[in-house]
Amino acid sequence: MSITEANCLSAELNVPFPSAYEAGVAYGSLSVDKEPKRGNVTRELHVEGNVLHVRFQAKEARTIRVSINSFMDHLKLVCETIAEFGPVR
Amino acid sequence: MVIAIGFEGSANKLGIGIVKDGEVLSNPRHTYITPPGQGFLPKDTAKHHREHALSVLKAALEEANVKPEEIDVVCYTKGPGMGAPLVSTALVARTVAQLWKKPIVAVNHCIGHIEMGRLITGAKNPTVLYVSGGNTQVIAYSDRYYRIFGETIDIAVGNCLDRFARVLKLSNDPSPGYNIEQLAKKGKQYLEMPYVVKGMDVSFSGLLSYIEEKAPKLIASGAYTPEDLCFSLQETVFAMLIEITERAMAHCDSNEVLIVGGVGCNKRLQEMMGIMAGERGATLYATDERFCIDNGAMIAQAGWEMFKSGVVTPLKETTCTQRFRTDEVKVTWRS
Repeated sequence: MSITEANCLSAELNVPFPSAYEAGVAYGSLSVDKEPKRGNVTRELHVEGNVLHVRFQAKEARTIRVSINSFMDHLKLVCETIAEFGPVR
Repeated sequence: MVIAIGFEGSANKLGIGIVKDGEVLSNPRHTYITPPGQGFLPKDTAKHHREHALSVLKAALEEANVKPEEIDVVCYTKGPGMGAPLVSTALVARTVAQLWKKPIVAVNHCIGHIEMGRLITGAKNPTVLYVSGGNTQVIAYSDRYYRIFGETIDIAVGNCLDRFARVLKLSNDPSPGYNIEQLAKKGKQYLEMPYVVKGMDVSFSGLLSYIEEKAPKLIASGAYTPEDLCFSLQETVFAMLIEITERAMAHCDSNEVLIVGGVGCNKRLQEMMGIMAGERGATLYATDERFCIDNGAMIAQAGWEMFKSGVVTPLKETTCTQRFRTDEVKVTWRS
């Protein structure tokens, strides 16, 4: 069975940045890596204005949790890097 | 003038180095060291890299006295290595490349070692023995590719040494292999153990099982000391490596041999290789722990070569891969 709206868990994460520029950089860094195949999780990213939208879909609670956890670790690292080397706010 | 910054995080070392036209401007490194008896796991290693990435990056820029705007290209390790640590390191490289508006070059870790070894030693066209915790390969360059002449068919030689160090509960600081090397110097009695060369390839897993099982009994009975076993293990595995390296040199009619990778800073391995090279009228090239062990400058140096030959990796393609063989990369920077 494929992952469809009807039969799976989903989660949405909306991450606001100081501006569309930072949101775009975060998108550029975080959208490159694919989710591991075994996990059966899909993760879609897109940017609207200064907000990075992330949508997770999976059939199992365990795999969606692992995927979100890992994404949060990566998001934190990217945000710290932007804060350190990005435009002065 | 081209300035390259390199990000390396494929195993337990996080390194960021800056290279300007063959000159290493800075090369700080932070190593994830586990307690005695324990290896490093992907998740914890990735966490280590995330925690230290920014401080190591700041140190690299400060030591080099280079401003981000002066950098021409951002290089990172694409693979091979552990997935989670590779991605954590690549994330920082991608982010700064975007912020600084610089192109990115994805680098094969093994090729980083080879190019760094060539830069530091001045070897022109060496047969390369690449020995580390994750890789064991004999490599020679031919017609635009680094060809693998022989390799391990199971675990890497460094992995074999590291895991024997765990049996003896040796410290992982600065590295398990270093501590085995120190004990081996005091070894007197040689224990014969399986010597496994299959054609041009080597195997270490059977040898490791053998010594893992025997060691506790031999030490408890007083027949052999831990020093004797470290000595015997080193002599055996290094002899295997020298044998396949010599065969590759004979095949390529090579008069240069270069040792790279973390195990390459072992003085006994260098000594044995030196004897073999001397008998063949060949020259041995080796480096010390600053450049043998994983570091950022080696990724910067290989990326610098690639960038100068016109290679750039689009952001969308800056992925990481756990498996990435040395002979998959077209060598565009050598004739």
